[in-house]
Amino acid sequence: MALISVALGRLSQSVLLLFAMSLIGFIGIHSIGNPVFNIVNIETATPDDIQRATIALGLDQPVWRQYALFLDNVVHGNFGTSYIYHQPALALVMSKLPATLELACVAMLVAAPAGTGVGLLAGRRKGGLFDRTALRSSVFALSIPSFWLSMMLILLGAILTGWFPSGGRGATASFMGLEWSVLTKDGLWHMILPTLALAVPNIASIARLSRSGTIEVESLDFTRFCRAKGLSPRRILFRHTLPNISVPIMTIIGLQFGGMLAFAVVVESIFSWPGVGKLLIDSIQLLDRPVVMATLTFISVAFIALNAFVDLFHAVLDPRVRLAS
Amino acid sequence: MKAEILRALNKRPLPRMLTPSTLLLATYILLALAAPVIAPQNPYAPLQIYAWEASSPPGTAGSGGFLYLLGTDGLGRDIVSCILYGLRISLVVSITSAAIAALIGLTAGVSAAYFGRWVDVAIMRLVDLQLSLPTILVALIAIVTLGPGIDRIILALIIAQWATYARLARSVALSETRKSYMDAARLMRLPTSRILFRHLLPNSIAPAVTLIPIEVGHAVALEATLSFLGLGVPSDKPSLGSTVANGFQYLLTGQYWISLFPGLALFGLIASINFVGEDVRRRLDPRSRSV
Repeated sequence: MALISVALGRLSQSVLLLFAMSLIGFIGIHSIGNPVFNIVNIETATPDDIQRATIALGLDQPVWRQYALFLDNVVHGNFGTSYIYHQPALALVMSKLPATLELACVAMLVAAPAGTGVGLLAGRRKGGLFDRTALRSSVFALSIPSFWLSMMLILLGAILTGWFPSGGRGATASFMGLEWSVLTKDGLWHMILPTLALAVPNIASIARLSRSGTIEVESLDFTRFCRAKGLSPRRILFRHTLPNISVPIMTIIGLQFGGMLAFAVVVESIFSWPGVGKLLIDSIQLLDRPVVMATLTFISVAFIALNAFVDLFHAVLDPRVRLAS
Repeated sequence: MKAEILRALNKRPLPRMLTPSTLLLATYILLALAAPVIAPQNPYAPLQIYAWEASSPPGTAGSGGFLYLLGTDGLGRDIVSCILYGLRISLVVSITSAAIAALIGLTAGVSAAYFGRWVDVAIMRLVDLQLSLPTILVALIAIVTLGPGIDRIILALIIAQWATYARLARSVALSETRKSYMDAARLMRLPTSRILFRHLLPNSIAPAVTLIPIEVGHAVALEATLSFLGLGVPSDKPSLGSTVANGFQYLLTGQYWISLFPGLALFGLIASINFVGEDVRRRLDPRSRSV
């Protein structure tokens, strides 16, 4: 029973969040400018043309009516048609999604083991040389603005050395009806720099968490018992400490994954990676309202799902959480 | 509370507070304050800028009678001057927004804890909504809604950051409201505002105060990111972030200095704030001291 009421509360909160996001987004995109001037040819259009385009897009209506119409359409699964690309907005977002997911997943696959490993090694000898170096480097890694890191990666890895391409997605291969870059050599080559740009701050935050977890766990009685039993330090670290710190690490991986989707906005625009983040920024600049609204709604849904998943996962892995609720 | 902070700071003698990061941060602040005096050029004054000297490499002699130590950007602005003036914007924006966000967040959190019932529900629902999204996304939506401008970006950062303080302040204030001095204050029939601001707030403030330096660091990075995306500070008054952004198109043709140096300055600023923030938190917050 308690679980159902928690789930219902969660659901109502999620609906509220979606509603708030859509309202704020709608008013926001409404206040930054009139998209008509990006749609008609500004040099040849007569005031008459502009008038007709405004009516055709429904922009002559008051804001609240436009919003009501938008909500009505969304309930029926229709986010409208992109002003610029003349495609259904939601389908457009979905077509860009594999690129973003692919980048975020690969970056997380790099960041999670690297961060956990560094954290374990640093936490095992608290105050040692490796620990101090790792701790200090993590602050630096978390301080680098991600856009500058991306640009410096392009400068070093593409322009000065010519090792990697400076942008784009490269060749893709088709799998399950979608295009993936991971499957081709050229595509992988294109992924290396953007993956690094997304992974570096995440390695640092995962390492910090796993370091403090390791320090905490290694001071507990059972670790001392393992040591007294004569287990090797490596076995204690990987078979006893690692499982015990895995719950908070999984939680932060879930949350960071969400953060990656948000930071993809920056990294994708720099590496001209054709994903959802680049679509959002381009659409904001072109005042392509249906696409902005579809992207924002989609990102919010993704976040809600991700947060719920992390909580669920937490409850499954950690019996204490299950009992508490 | 004041005594607590003083005691914590006194644990280390003064010379040991002079870490490289505090020195660097102090240098940044001094440079920002002195920018109009020491900058070779005013990058906001079109008359001092020579457009034909655009994208000169570092070390070029300029027509203004000084050396372009770090080169010029695509519009002919001296990079050194852009960095110095950009620092001012970054620091003003981040410190103002962090301070106001702290004030609003603390007040909201403490009020939520004190009044309970619907006030608590209303405030905390909003806080939870916001904290379930990443800060960068909240700031992005806020700045799109508000439009460009320095005042708008401060507002957007306040909107993005107040919730963190509110949640922390509420949890501290909740345990404070049960203490006997609060009962005493209520029994004395002190006015609510006095209880709130003279008794509850000062006693719930300490953990949230330790957040401020870290949040200032976040604010610098957020402002730079928004400006980079072309949504923040207008381009005629470049902040560090927009100077880096302006250099992006030149980066691909090998004119690296426009993005490299301002970005390096930005990185140093954020890193020094983060190191100082971490230090402050370690000294003031006993929970993080053990780890």
